[in-house]
Amino acid sequence: MNRIAVMAAGCAIAAAAVAVAVVSVSAGRLPQVVKGGGALSVAFADAKTTISSAMVHKADSYFHGGIDMECNECHGHDHDHAAEHDHGAEHDHAGEHGHGHFEGGEALDPWRWINRHVRAPEKHVHLDGKESVEMMPWFWAAVRADPHNVDAWTTAWYVAYKMMKDHALAQRVLDEAKERNPDSLEIAFTEARFTYDGGKGDSAATERILENALSMADRKCGGRFSELSERDAETCRRMREYLADIRKPSAAR
Amino acid sequence: MRLFIRQAKALVKLSFVELWRRNDVFALLVLAVALMVPLSLSSPFGAAGASRYLDEAAILLIWGFSLVIALGTGSRLFPPEFESRTIYPLLAKPISRGALLLGKYAGAVAASWSALLLFYALFAGSVLLRGGSFSSELAQGVVLHMAFVALAVAVSLAGSLVTTPSANLAISGIALVSMFFFGRRLPEYADAVSAPLSWLVDLAYAVGPHAEFFDMRQRLIHGWGAVDAAVFFAVLLYAAFYVASLLGFAALALKRKRL
Repeated sequence: MNRIAVMAAGCAIAAAAVAVAVVSVSAGRLPQVVKGGGALSVAFADAKTTISSAMVHKADSYFHGGIDMECNECHGHDHDHAAEHDHGAEHDHAGEHGHGHFEGGEALDPWRWINRHVRAPEKHVHLDGKESVEMMPWFWAAVRADPHNVDAWTTAWYVAYKMMKDHALAQRVLDEAKERNPDSLEIAFTEARFTYDGGKGDSAATERILENALSMADRKCGGRFSELSERDAETCRRMREYLADIRKPSAAR
Repeated sequence: MRLFIRQAKALVKLSFVELWRRNDVFALLVLAVALMVPLSLSSPFGAAGASRYLDEAAILLIWGFSLVIALGTGSRLFPPEFESRTIYPLLAKPISRGALLLGKYAGAVAASWSALLLFYALFAGSVLLRGGSFSSELAQGVVLHMAFVALAVAVSLAGSLVTTPSANLAISGIALVSMFFFGRRLPEYADAVSAPLSWLVDLAYAVGPHAEFFDMRQRLIHGWGAVDAAVFFAVLLYAAFYVASLLGFAALALKRKRL
C-alpha cells in the first residue's frame, strides 16, 4: 500500500516537472500558451476565468453584507441591483420576510422555510466607507486568477477610490492593472477619470491619457473603428464624450 | 440500564482513544496552520484591515475537516470489526447489537465533537487575537455544526453496513457536500429539467440530508445575528429525526447481517 502511494506521488511529481519543463523550454513555440501566465495558464486556461468570475461574485456578496444575490432563498425581495451600488443604505426587511411565519409556498415546503430563515439576514446592510476593504481580498484573488479580468480591476479601483476614499490604494490598483493590461481601453479610461477627478481637474494630463488610449484603439483596429469589439467601441465612445466634455470651457460644462 | 450505560461508556472511551491515537486531527491542524498563516500574513493590494475573508477561510476549513473526521470515524466503526473478526468477542460480552450500535455511534459523535470544539476554540482564539469579538450567533453556529457532525457520522455509519468502505465514503461525502452547497437550489434545478429527472431531483430534495440547514457561516462572518429560536429548534429536530431514522436503518442492517 505504502509502495503504491510513494510510486503515485513520484509519478505526479515527475509529470508536473515534465509539464513545467516543456512549457518553459518551448514557451515561444506553443501558440496556446499565454505568455507570462506560467504553468497555471496551461493547465487551467478557462478555469482561471471561471474562478476569477466567482471571486468577483463573492466580492459582490460581501458588498451585500454576505447575501448571494443570485440565490432566491437568500433574500426575499426584489432589488434594483444597479442602483444599490451607489449607496450604502440599510433596509429593514424584517416585515417583508414575515419573520417566523410560513409564507406563500413555504407551508408545503418546510425545508424552504428553514433555508430562508437560516440563510437570509433580517436586515440587508451594504458595505460602505472603510468597511469596503473587506471586498478587496476577493478582487485581489480574482485578478490573481485572471489578470485580464478588467471588470475585477476597475471594480477594485472603484471600491478603493469611491467607496473607501483611499486614493493611494486606488492608485496602486490602477498601476498594477495598467502593468498587467497595457492594451486595455477600459483601464486607460479609468486612469483618465482618476487623473481628472483625483487631480482636481487636471485636464491636460487627462486629455493626454485619453488621446493615447484613442490612438491605441486606432492601432488595434487599423483605423476601422467598426471592427472594434462592442465593448471597446462603447469605451471609445465614452472616452470621446469625456474628452469633449473636459475640453469645454468650465462655464459650459 | 446501568449495564447499558457502562457498556456505552466503554465504547465511547474506545472511540475517543481511537480518534486521538490515529493523529488525523493533528495532521489536519498542521494543514490548517499551513494554509491560514500565509493567508493571514498577506495584505491584498497593500490594503490593511480586511478580516472577513480570513474568518471565511477558517470556517470553511473547519467545515471541511469536521466532515472528513465525521465520515472517517463513522465509516470505521464496524468494517474493521468484521474484517478482523473482533465483532465475535465483542458481541459475546454480552452486549446486544442495538447497544453496540448506539454505543459506537455515541463514541464516534463524541470523538468528532471533541475535534470540532478544538477547531472552534482555535478559531475563536485567532479572532480574539486579531481584536475581533463574538455575539450569540457563535454559540448557535457551534451547536448547529455539532448537530451536522452527528448527522454525518450517522450517514457514514449507516452506509458502512450496506456498502464497501470506499463506496460508503464516496457516496456519503458526495451526498453531504452536494447538499451543503446546492441543497437549497434543488427546487430550481428540478424546475429546469424534464420529468423523469425532475422527479429524482425532487426526491433528493425531500429525503436527502440537508447539510445546508446547519450552515451559519455567513451569519458568523457578516454578523447577521442569531436565528430565530423556532428555526434553530426546527433544525435540531430535523437532525434528531434524521439521525434516528438512519440509526434505525443501521440497526436493521446490522440485525440482518450474517456474521
